[in-house]
Amino acid sequence: MESRHLTHMRQAVKLAKYALDHNETPVACIFVYEPTDEIIAYGMNDTNKSHTGIAHAEFMGIDQIQEKFGAENLVEIFKDTVLYVTVEPCIMCASALKQLGIKRVYFGCGNERFGGNGTVLTINKDHSTISLNENKTYDAIPGIYRKEAIMLLRYFYVRENDHAPKPKVKKERILDKETFPPIIWSSYIDRSLFGQEFGLENLVHFDENTDLAGISNHGIDWKLIDDSCDDIVDTLEITRQKAQINIHKRIKSTK
Amino acid sequence: MVKKALNPLKIDFKKGIIENKLQQIRNSRTTTTPDLIKVWTIEVNPKDSKYVLDLIRTKTQKQDPISMLHIKRIRKITNSDTSVSLVVVIGSVELFEDKNSVQSMLHSFRKDLKYSNLSSSHEIPKEGPQTKELMLQWSDEYWPLVWRGNPNDQILNDYTFNMPFIEDILLKIHRLSQEQYENGNIYPIVTAFVDPNDSTNCIYACDTRAQQESSPLDHSIRIGINAVSKRLKERKKVIDNAHTEGYLCLDFDVYTTHEPCSMCSMALIHSRIKRCIFIQPMTMTGSLKHKSGDGYCMHQHKLLNSSYEAFQWVGDKLDPPEISQSTCC
Ligand SMILES: [Zn+2]
Ligand SMILES: [Zn+2]
Repeated sequence: MESRHLTHMRQAVKLAKYALDHNETPVACIFVYEPTDEIIAYGMNDTNKSHTGIAHAEFMGIDQIQEKFGAENLVEIFKDTVLYVTVEPCIMCASALKQLGIKRVYFGCGNERFGGNGTVLTINKDHSTISLNENKTYDAIPGIYRKEAIMLLRYFYVRENDHAPKPKVKKERILDKETFPPIIWSSYIDRSLFGQEFGLENLVHFDENTDLAGISNHGIDWKLIDDSCDDIVDTLEITRQKAQINIHKRIKSTK
Repeated sequence: MVKKALNPLKIDFKKGIIENKLQQIRNSRTTTTPDLIKVWTIEVNPKDSKYVLDLIRTKTQKQDPISMLHIKRIRKITNSDTSVSLVVVIGSVELFEDKNSVQSMLHSFRKDLKYSNLSSSHEIPKEGPQTKELMLQWSDEYWPLVWRGNPNDQILNDYTFNMPFIEDILLKIHRLSQEQYENGNIYPIVTAFVDPNDSTNCIYACDTRAQQESSPLDHSIRIGINAVSKRLKERKKVIDNAHTEGYLCLDFDVYTTHEPCSMCSMALIHSRIKRCIFIQPMTMTGSLKHKSGDGYCMHQHKLLNSSYEAFQWVGDKLDPPEISQSTCC
C-alpha cells in the first residue's frame, strides 16, 4: 500500500472524529485529484442537522467540487479523482460516484446496512448505473484504517441513546474495543487487485479474511481516533482552496 | 384490516393490479426456502397457558419488529413421562437481545410464573409462504404455521388508494413533463412529493441537469427531496425538535414520470417514503421493476432494513416524452 493512501485516509479518519465530536455520525471523506495528489474537497455527514437522510459526506464533497470548479467540469475532474472515505459508500452515494465517473474509491470499513460497493449491492460494477465517463466501472478498495473507522462508529452508537421508533429491549451498551468481524476481502475486490494494491506478500490476509498488519500497527491507532482535532476543518479548507488553482490550469491547458 | 370481499377497490389479486390502473411492483423471486429467525421459547404447564397468552398480547406482540401472525405461538410436546408441556414462542431475538432481558421481562410480568427451558434455539420462517402446500411443508420442517391465504393478498387488500387523487397528480406530472419537453429540456422528468398531512400542498420537481450550473446528479427526485427540506426550514425557520424521526419525507407518496435510478431509488429509502408510483419504466437504468436494469427492486430489497410500496401506472395511456433508455432518472 502506497503511503499517500494512508496519509489521505488518516485525514478522513480525523475528519470523522471531528464529526463525532460535533454530534454527527462519524463518517467522513476526502476527495483527492490524483495527477497532482491534492485534496480538492472533503465531506462529513450532515444527516442529523439537515434532517434529510440524504446529506451524506460524499455529497458535501461533490458540492464543494461543483461550487469551486463549476458543474460543467465535474465529470472531467472526477475522471482523475480518488475518494478516501471511512465507511463504504451507501448505495445512493456509490451510484452518484459512478454516474460522475470517479476513478477509484478507498474505504475503511464496510457499510453493513446500506453498502453500495460490495456489502449489499455492487453498484460500482453494475450495468444499470450509467457512468458519464468512459470508465464504466470503478474499483472500491476496503480495509484501510478499518478498525479505526469501526471504533468511531462504536463510540457513536454507545453514546447515542435509543431514538429508534420501536426501542429494543437491550442489554446495556458496552463499548467493545477488542473484537472485530473478519474482513471478507473477496466481497469487494479480487485477489489480483488485492495483490496490486497491498503487495503480494500480504495475500495471506486476503485468503484468511484478516486485517492488514502495519496499517493499524497490529492493533488500533488509538491516538488517531482519540486525540481531538478541532483544527482539521480549517486545515482541509486551506488545502482545498490552494488546490483550486492547479486544477483550473490543468483543465484550461487540456482544452 | 378490511375483509377482501368488503374492499371497495377492484383488485386483481393474481396479477397484483388495482382498478386496472396500478400494477404492484414486486420482487418476483418465488421463495421455496424461507429466511429464518431465532425466537425465544419457554416451556410451561398447560394450565398456565392463559398467563402466557396474556403476556404475549400485552408485552411482546406489538413491540416485536418481527410479525408473528403467521405462526402458531404454542406447540404441544409430550414428555418422556407422558405428561404434556407447551412450548411457547415469546418473541424474536430482534426484540430480546439476550437471556437476561427475557428473564427480567418474565419476572416483571408475573413473579411466580413457572417455566423451564428458556432458549433461543428454535427458528421460525420470517414471513409466511405464498401457497398452502408450502405452508404445510414449512410447518413440518420448522415450526407450525397458520394459513391466512397468500400474504400478498392481504398486503394488496390493506393498501389505501384515493384513485381520483392519484390520477390527478399523475396527469399533472405528465403535463409538466410535456411542458418541459416543449421548452427544450432534454430531461423532461418530473416528480411530485405529497405529504400525507398536507396533501393539497404538494411539491413538484423537475430534472434540471440540462441547465447551466447544474450537476449531472440533479435528478428530479433529488431536487424534490431538497425542496421538501427547504420548505420545512422556511416554515419553521429552524428545525427545532431534534427528536422527530429525522426522516424528512416520512410516509410521503412520491409520483414520478420515469422509473428512478439506483441513486434516486435509494434516496427514497433513506427518506422513508411510503409509496412511489411511476409511469414510464426504464428498462436499462430502472431500479424498481425486477425486469429493469440489474433487477435491484430497491423498494423491497431483502438486505435493506426498510422498504416502500411501488406501483406502475398501467391505466389509460399517459405517454411521457421519450428519453434515452440509458438515462438515469
Ligand atoms: Zn451515502
Ligand atoms: Zn436518479
